[in-house]
Amino acid sequence: MGKAIRGGWGPILILCAGLLALTAFFAWGALAWPCSPTQPSGASLEAPGAAHWLGTDDLGIDIYAQLSQGFFASMSLGLACGALTGLIGGGLGMLAGYKGGGVQAAVDLAVQVFLAVPQLPVLIVLGAFWGQDRRLVIGLIAAFSWAPVAKQTAAKTRSAAHRTYVQAARSWGANSWYILKNHLAAEVLPVVLVGALAVVGKAILQESALAYLGLSDPTAKSWGLMINRASRFAGIYFTDYWKWWLAAPVAALMLTILFTRLLARRLEQRLLEGDV
Amino acid sequence: MKFVSRLFSAAAALLILASLAAGCFAAPAASAGESRPDGQVEVLRLEGGTDWGAPTPFQCQSRGPGTAKMELVYASLLEKDETGDIGWLAESWTVDGKDYTFTLRQGAAFQDGEPLTADDVAFTIDYYNAHPPVSNPLAAGTDACILEGYTVVDERTITLTVKAPDGDTLTSLGSFEILPRHVWESVEDPYTYTGEGWLTGSGAWACTAYDGPTGSYEFTAVNDFCAGTQAAARIQFVPASDALLAFENGEIDITGVPADLLDRYRADESLGFVEKADDTGYKLLINFDECPEFLDIALRQAVYAALDRQAVVDKVFRGAGSVGSAGYVPRSSLYYSPDCVEYPYDPEAARAVLADKNLSVTLLAADSGSDVAIAELIQLDLEAAGVAVTVESYDSATRDSMVNGGDYQFALVGNGGWGNNPPTYLRTIFSDVSKNQGGNPHSMGPIGYENAEITALAEGQRTETDFEARKAMFQQLQVLISREIPLIVIANQSSYSMYRKDCYDGWMKTYAYQQAEQNRLSYMLR
Repeated sequence: MGKAIRGGWGPILILCAGLLALTAFFAWGALAWPCSPTQPSGASLEAPGAAHWLGTDDLGIDIYAQLSQGFFASMSLGLACGALTGLIGGGLGMLAGYKGGGVQAAVDLAVQVFLAVPQLPVLIVLGAFWGQDRRLVIGLIAAFSWAPVAKQTAAKTRSAAHRTYVQAARSWGANSWYILKNHLAAEVLPVVLVGALAVVGKAILQESALAYLGLSDPTAKSWGLMINRASRFAGIYFTDYWKWWLAAPVAALMLTILFTRLLARRLEQRLLEGDV
Repeated sequence: MKFVSRLFSAAAALLILASLAAGCFAAPAASAGESRPDGQVEVLRLEGGTDWGAPTPFQCQSRGPGTAKMELVYASLLEKDETGDIGWLAESWTVDGKDYTFTLRQGAAFQDGEPLTADDVAFTIDYYNAHPPVSNPLAAGTDACILEGYTVVDERTITLTVKAPDGDTLTSLGSFEILPRHVWESVEDPYTYTGEGWLTGSGAWACTAYDGPTGSYEFTAVNDFCAGTQAAARIQFVPASDALLAFENGEIDITGVPADLLDRYRADESLGFVEKADDTGYKLLINFDECPEFLDIALRQAVYAALDRQAVVDKVFRGAGSVGSAGYVPRSSLYYSPDCVEYPYDPEAARAVLADKNLSVTLLAADSGSDVAIAELIQLDLEAAGVAVTVESYDSATRDSMVNGGDYQFALVGNGGWGNNPPTYLRTIFSDVSKNQGGNPHSMGPIGYENAEITALAEGQRTETDFEARKAMFQQLQVLISREIPLIVIANQSSYSMYRKDCYDGWMKTYAYQQAEQNRLSYMLR
């Protein structure tokens, strides 16, 4: 353990522990907590207490149960976006980096286009037209997140493809699939993984932003929508309600994004030291 | 359709911005440096932040805040005060059978200084027949137009001849906004026009700034307005992310009071309040063309039984309101009929009827106000009764457009004005010949449902001029509506507006409309 910490893994382990603790806290809320995240189980705007640890919202629905469902909804969306981003960005990046020439030029152009487009405004416009479908939100966020991953993956692939053992394999007649699978994948995978992990936190934030703006399923128990509903309650800042109805999803969102973004950053430093 | 509508809105916003840049607004008639009439305040600030359209009769949004801004810029022949109709551009009027003769005030003029004559009134009628305005009390351009013709008697006098006079005719004739002929006679498409003079109105206020994307408006008092003196030199609608915070910070002068905080503010004697009893209401529309199974009245009765409407009052309105009468007119109205059929919350009875029907509906709602919370409660109740419900929410204008276009299965529609007196909206919502004409929420009735008895009563009450007889007809109509259930009435919300008395104390309700911030006379010295 001491060696690991000296080697730079300590903060990563602490962050992983934090994420695990959050997951456990919300897993209890989702699996063992007696209150429903969708059905009223208490009085309207009940203050935190034994029956409702984090109180209830205006409809009398338990906040802790909603937060717990929101955590898994957000994390699953973030992970789906991360996986999709890894597949698209990693795949196109490896293709461009390995093939070069016209393929690389085409992928580079697409990367530049997607990097140049301001993401949130475009997501808001597209979300306004098609956004009330969760799968579509995942697709939209992934579509605007793969470019940086592809760019880094292409650079790493190009670098790896020029190594002596890869050249040797090619001169001995190894085909592209063999080289990609056996020589390049191991080198490129950490880049893709770190890039995809970075997208998880970003996707959670973007989905919350879209939900806050009313561009998601209006009755879903997402954190963005909880913040939206609470902050639009007239005069909430002149009452005590904000302390549990608004502060709880804001804190949950901040903690989750903080852990995932710091974890991605630490892993990037640790795994890609000197590479990128 | 939705895409085209949104595209059009975006294009209109760009055009308006371009017009702003080109300085197309009418010049302010009063400047800050000028001395003001006694009692006039420098500026009144209200909550903005929503684009209610450009304040012209053709481009404003159909809902109250949109038409109210347009009515500041444009004037009609008559206005309403606390007790009845009063002269506005017209100083007097006479009624002789089907002929209504109006005499314009001496000195009536448009905001560019051109005189306002009977010829402009006649032109306005013709122009509205060719291009119906958003708010259309004459029903111009439709088969239901109340006018048969007109005669220009002299420069200040015009006689309007109606097809059939009734209890509402004078009010309707007095409510259409007068256009300047010299501006509009060469305009072919008023719905997109933003050229020279597009905001030159006939009203007490010139629109001196309008920015749609931020929902900002400024209106400046017009000098020597013929019908009175304005109570403020300027009216501004300023964006506010939280209206109550803005009021506390002195950024706006009037705002709504949340029910939870009413007692707290009531204790402050420097504040004045305008009560709007049961004035906002929510109804659940069923598109029977899309959901023909609900033509079976047993299913509509079961929907009523499935809904815990008291929960809407308690949880969403925070207790400030009442469960809606199935006869539509609020329980606090003078016209309310206590004989309406009541539908108490009975989830077991609802489930017994609905559970085995395998029903699935999409519920359209607006994404603003309390709509989503109410939609969620409806969803929970209907799902408990065995009906699968998917809620879709859009901005209010898109929701209205979809409702009017019949692009929905179930739709939740909320609006103010339920406390109107008399409840003439019963005709525009429930009459098969008058409903769904235009984008006003009081014209949004059920689609695919017809009822000759309701239509006869709803149309027939217009021709009854005896108050008690007309009231009896309204009450009979409500009982019929409550029995036949063309739509589901959810609940009525009561609210208060709060203002600083030392800043301005002239907010008023008319005999027909409780929304003080939307009444023209609220902004006049009286």
